[in-house]
Amino acid sequence: MQSINDYKPRIILNEYNITQNLPSAPTVLDETFNIKKLKKIFRIVIVRYENMEMEFDVIGIHPFIANTFRRLMLSDVPSMAIEKVHIYNNTSIIQDEVLAHRLGLVPLKADPRLFQFKQDAEDNELDTLEFELKIKCIRSKDENKDSSRIDDIYKNSNVYSKQIKWVPKGNQLDSFKESDVGTVHDDILIAKLRPGHELDLKLLAVKGIGRDHAKFSPVATAFYRLLPDIRLTREVKGEAAERLQKCFSPGVIGLRHTKDGNKVAVVNNARYDSSSRNVFRYDDLKDAVIMTKVQDHFIFNIESVGALKPDVIFIEAVKTLKDKCLSLLSELEQI
Amino acid sequence: MSDPSTKDSTTTKTPMVYICGECHSENEIRPRDPIRCRECGYRIMYKKRTKRLIVFDAR
Amino acid sequence: MPIAQLAGTDPAEEKSKTFVFHDEGHTMGNALRYVISSYDDVEFCGYTVPHPAESKMHLRIQMRNGRAIDALRRALKDLVKLCDHTIETFNEQLISFQTDQLST
Repeated sequence: MQSINDYKPRIILNEYNITQNLPSAPTVLDETFNIKKLKKIFRIVIVRYENMEMEFDVIGIHPFIANTFRRLMLSDVPSMAIEKVHIYNNTSIIQDEVLAHRLGLVPLKADPRLFQFKQDAEDNELDTLEFELKIKCIRSKDENKDSSRIDDIYKNSNVYSKQIKWVPKGNQLDSFKESDVGTVHDDILIAKLRPGHELDLKLLAVKGIGRDHAKFSPVATAFYRLLPDIRLTREVKGEAAERLQKCFSPGVIGLRHTKDGNKVAVVNNARYDSSSRNVFRYDDLKDAVIMTKVQDHFIFNIESVGALKPDVIFIEAVKTLKDKCLSLLSELEQI
Repeated sequence: MSDPSTKDSTTTKTPMVYICGECHSENEIRPRDPIRCRECGYRIMYKKRTKRLIVFDAR
Repeated sequence: MPIAQLAGTDPAEEKSKTFVFHDEGHTMGNALRYVISSYDDVEFCGYTVPHPAESKMHLRIQMRNGRAIDALRRALKDLVKLCDHTIETFNEQLISFQTDQLST
């Protein structure tokens, strides 16, 4: 069993177990929660931001903080989703309740921060978005009748999410543009129709949170993992170096060419290692590597469903925690 | 309960629309009419879907 | 609305208390437990969600010195500060990341 004893809290991945290193100084894991100390070591580094996906590091925090933020993003940040389906007509083969359930899961593009939670039974423009889905399948009258393609024979045989039309309520048109409201994706297949089948639906979307139903969750996934750190304890050359490279995820181990034509393994970037323990299959390599994870370095990944940008989701999550604490504090004043 | 005789007379006057199980054509059938499609003679008929509004929770 | 309430403890006993939170769960429970149990004067702090179908969370605090309610208040204030600092840092980093992206 090997160890690194530096100032960072780490777990060391051994062949059959996990051990803790012995940090040379107290770490966030065993210190009193103190906001001044936390501010000194707390860091956030944004690594990747691509449209609706984001990766960033939060460094110097206790795992409970990371987990609280993750839980808040999943189940306490609000978003809009279809909640009631008024079925005027449905002669398709998909049952009313199944159709309603499918529609509820369609991601909606509307900023939930501009809406209120629905209070009373009466709908109004501040808490409800209304949509309409009216479609009828007919036999196509085109000349290419002998075609066997479904799209040539029938019109509207597939119902897609783009056919859901927004019906502005009250003066919603003043505060929202046509492009701000609708479905995130326009190609979600909702139902299949045949000639004579008809859908006539009114859809009512409200604001809700993921704790109530997963359709209200603003993220597709939100997770964190610990930063992997890999160290080589001795030089690994030649064939063994190539074998070592294959033990890890691509890009983790690099090969440096020496002047005498040899290859030497070096750690390029351990960040994206999957932390598999394949090295331990080779008796000659297992003593050359120490695999660790840094316990106060969290790599967050947020994939938004599409209504809010991932950075907004994170900020909203932290804000909900703050609001919860503030409202609990004011409750405590009354005791 | 309302008077059964008036209820009877309204049902004899208003025909019900049924859909043929074979050719999907709509047939108006009164009580005691033969249950048979006027287009194709098929004997299995289906009721139309209600026109009443139904509300579902999208859950 | 979440309500903090005292239940089943002797009101004269200020050192040990159980607080009942309505409409809260593991998210707040675990966060508060960690912050409070890291404080020096706290002898014990634990939380439980007695039944998953009931949205209630019980938080038990036992102090060596001082009042339990003060530890809870301190924890909530610390969490508020943590949130403020997180939002501030995150926004700073986001702006600098976006300017970096534009320049490259």
